[in-house]
Amino acid sequence: MLSAQERAHIAQVWDLIAGHEALFGAELLRRLFTVYPSTKVYFRHLGDQPDEVQLLNHGQRMLQAVGVAVQYVDNLRAVLSPLADLHAQVLRVDPTNFPLVIQCFQVVLASHLQDEFTVEMQASWDKFLTGMAVVLTEKYR
Amino acid sequence: MRNKRPRSEAAARTCFWPIRLTSKLPDTMVHFTTEEKAAVASLWAKVNVEVVGSESLARLLIVYPWTQRLFDSFGNLYSESAIMGNPKVKAHGRKVLNSFGNATKHMDDLKGTFTDLSELHCDKLHVDPENFRLLGNMILIVLATHFSKEFTPQIQAAWQKLTNAVANALAHKYH
Repeated sequence: MLSAQERAHIAQVWDLIAGHEALFGAELLRRLFTVYPSTKVYFRHLGDQPDEVQLLNHGQRMLQAVGVAVQYVDNLRAVLSPLADLHAQVLRVDPTNFPLVIQCFQVVLASHLQDEFTVEMQASWDKFLTGMAVVLTEKYR
Repeated sequence: MRNKRPRSEAAARTCFWPIRLTSKLPDTMVHFTTEEKAAVASLWAKVNVEVVGSESLARLLIVYPWTQRLFDSFGNLYSESAIMGNPKVKAHGRKVLNSFGNATKHMDDLKGTFTDLSELHCDKLHVDPENFRLLGNMILIVLATHFSKEFTPQIQAAWQKLTNAVANALAHKYH
């Protein structure tokens, strides 16, 4: 589904994130909770006002999962299966929230990469992250 | 282990195709705080309308290619570089962003401000209001590329609220 060019864009951007998953993840969550406060209902275990450490920890977990998806982009269903189970059976995050995370992810990438976040990068990452969201919600029923 | 709880109705929308970026808000007046208005105004003062407008529209047409259906008369949209360089795309992008500029001056009455444009987009242009939400999201991403760290979460929140409210105002007169 992803062209060679799209995979290259994804790998290129991931190179910048790799090793800094916690920082990027924390920023993603900070933006998500600020711009879309209703998403906090899914993160009650982080408390009412999650502190920096919690954002870094949880952000790291989320971005590490993205890293796995980047590595196994041809086999998302298999590799994300445990996470898909988790979302379907335990977390039950309403599917309409995934585009909100994706939007914030794009803003994080855009603000860090600036000019380098070309439209081709944006298109590739939008497609890739949407693909991840589809897999994570596929077992909902 | 099967989950026995009642499924959310929205879980029914787990189809492949684009999930709505924001849910449709009920028909209530949007209220912007003083801080939100300040956040919007401070950034707007530095926005290059020509550049941000044209880039936002170009990104919409490229990232979500089905939106090109609305622009048959725009000529060459066959490649990314064609779209980015298309003069009609640039002109229309600038026009749309100027309209946003108007929105920043009437944040207390967006529905009134966009009444005519709403009727136009429904009756003459036949644009799915989802496109307004998508374009609003593109504007935010372009602003982030331009303003980087200055595009703080709080500023992002104020602008996201504005673009959502403008999208709703533009959809308000649809029938």
